[in-house]
Amino acid sequence: MAYQELIKNFDKIRRYIRDFYVYGFRSRMEYDTKSPRSYDNERRRIESWLGDYMSFHQDAAGKRMFLSLDSRHIPHNPLYRAFQARSFTDRDITFHFFILDILADGKPRTFAQILETLQDTQTEGSRNLFLDDSTLRKKLKEYVSLGLLAAQKQGHTVSYRRTDSDSPDLTRWEDAISFFSEASPLGVVGSFLLNRLPEAPDLFRFKHHYILHTLDSDILAQLLDAIREHREVTLTLESPKTHALSHSPLVPLRVYSSTQTGRQYVLGYPEKRLNPIFVRVDAISSLTAGDPVPDWEELNRRGREAEQHLWGVTIRPGRPLERVEMKVHVEPWEDFIVRRLEREKRHGRVTRLDANTWLFQAEVEDAKEMLPWLRTFLGRIESLSCSNAYVQNTFQADLDQLNRMYGLTGEEDPNALP
Amino acid sequence: MLFLEVYGTYYHTVASILAHAVDGTLTDRLLTRLVQEQAFGESVLTIPSALKSGEWPLLDRDLGTPLRHAPSMPLTLLEKRWLKALLLDPRIALFQPDLSGLEDVEPLYLPRDIVFFDRYADGDPYDSPLYQKIFRTALQALREKRMLQIRFVTPAGAARDATCSPRRLEYSEKDDKFRLLAVGSKNTACTINLGRIRSCRLLDPVPEDALSPELPRSELTFLLYDQRKALERVLLHFSHLEKKTVRLGENRYQVTLFYDSADRAEMLIRILSFGPMIQVISPPDFVESIRDRLRRQSALSGMPRDS
Repeated sequence: MAYQELIKNFDKIRRYIRDFYVYGFRSRMEYDTKSPRSYDNERRRIESWLGDYMSFHQDAAGKRMFLSLDSRHIPHNPLYRAFQARSFTDRDITFHFFILDILADGKPRTFAQILETLQDTQTEGSRNLFLDDSTLRKKLKEYVSLGLLAAQKQGHTVSYRRTDSDSPDLTRWEDAISFFSEASPLGVVGSFLLNRLPEAPDLFRFKHHYILHTLDSDILAQLLDAIREHREVTLTLESPKTHALSHSPLVPLRVYSSTQTGRQYVLGYPEKRLNPIFVRVDAISSLTAGDPVPDWEELNRRGREAEQHLWGVTIRPGRPLERVEMKVHVEPWEDFIVRRLEREKRHGRVTRLDANTWLFQAEVEDAKEMLPWLRTFLGRIESLSCSNAYVQNTFQADLDQLNRMYGLTGEEDPNALP
Repeated sequence: MLFLEVYGTYYHTVASILAHAVDGTLTDRLLTRLVQEQAFGESVLTIPSALKSGEWPLLDRDLGTPLRHAPSMPLTLLEKRWLKALLLDPRIALFQPDLSGLEDVEPLYLPRDIVFFDRYADGDPYDSPLYQKIFRTALQALREKRMLQIRFVTPAGAARDATCSPRRLEYSEKDDKFRLLAVGSKNTACTINLGRIRSCRLLDPVPEDALSPELPRSELTFLLYDQRKALERVLLHFSHLEKKTVRLGENRYQVTLFYDSADRAEMLIRILSFGPMIQVISPPDFVESIRDRLRRQSALSGMPRDS
């Protein structure tokens, strides 16, 4: 099939964009595709949509494409462009403009009136497109479900009108849309609204801005719908290594979004509903919504209990909580360290022991998840203890390795810096 | 479902073209220019030909159209539901949007359905009338390109007055804070936490020849050892920065990051959080900062084996 700039299925391109953006060191031959042509087409599309941000580096093994940008220095997420590349038929686009034009005066019209006007206004090229009235029926029904049209039944006759009069004044939303299109869940919808404004305001910038979440927006929207309607869903998950697909039922309860790791998860109950689990949203290829779950509130209550002692996204049912204590040395002029402890402690506790020592304590499901955060206090830790010996030993072993790595011990390390 | 053609670049671009066709101002050259400006890189190969060949029978031969009105599209239910969800967000108090038209609309999601589990707890006070007033004044200054007279409190608690030209309002999702990016009196770029501003007043317009200095940038290169899934964790964690990654060998990579120099202290602790999975090799002063942290750690007593 000839190359097309637009696509019907988002899932495949989602994986390529993610790879170019996060990794960016793989050559054409390293992409696991059925044929190199498939890689070429996806790369060409991404270049067409996001050309300003695409770069490559060349070495003996070939060209390695990557997407690189500092999201702090751009007004809007460029990955939203990918959501504006859905393919359509000649009939789709023709009906779109004609139907909305016929109803532009705000007056309701019946199916027969719309069809008659279409046939009157047709050009030579459109004649064949309007012969089949079942397509018009389907398009009107689709636009009613999208909210572009409202259907009103009078007796046996249905009439259709545009819904412009039922909408807020977007000019009074400009600044809010500009901000929330980047800073709220499903911001891609805000980008659709920004496209409607004559000129998008350029007032905001966004730091620590993980724009990659965007690629999972369609999945996220379906998960949030299922949560709102208390439905079970069947997830299609793709193995990152083998690309094999598996199907897993889940009753979703909440979405967990990290502001520091770039990851999003859905918390829910799997098939047997014994204990809740977390599933990474970017691992979900697609999902199908099932029926509402009668015991959703009970599952939600049990989920809330399981969430009490989470540090991150690991639940270990039936195991005792792990206790972590860290004494932090703070000089009198280092109030910012105390502020850090207070704002980053999550459900932990912070107390002052003496003039220079502060104690952080927490009971958590899985203390391993705390290791990265604990390491951020290196240089200030007077003592660290954990009821899980693995955590304490790993912390010490990593510290010893760091010391060797940076040439701070007598021992030789093959990677030590000069 | 939000991956739909009605939100697409092609529909949007064709609507612009048809608006010109309706008022009789469309030319071949304008058609091409609109596609180049609004659509994708290769759309110029498809949109003009589809319109002119009659594949999409929306234009006639002399670039007129059978449509009677400049194209427009009502808001979709999805768009209204997203706007309705914003009304439940505490940050909406900073804006004063139009609430009409959303009365009978279900929000797309509820705040309780999404947990930002690692967001810092000392976010800005969005419900404070003073904070809202300062935010709106700063926003007005940005919109009208006017200088600001501000009084703010330093981290040490001292009050300071300053005159500045605001450039942008910057929001951090991790900190849940706004910062005012501005140019100070000495033509240097500066950032001020909005939560530290106690009062602000609009002044004259920013002079047209005012400079727009950029925040100084720094470069950092490290080796990444792919153990405990470090490759994915590290690259995703730093994905919001401009970066370059090269594979050096089995499970060994070299990553170069570019970041704003003012964030050096934050960068240091982010690097430390990955432990021995990351080995910074450049610049030397950054390597020395890590060594300093490690030396200080060794000097602290009883670490970490007491329990």
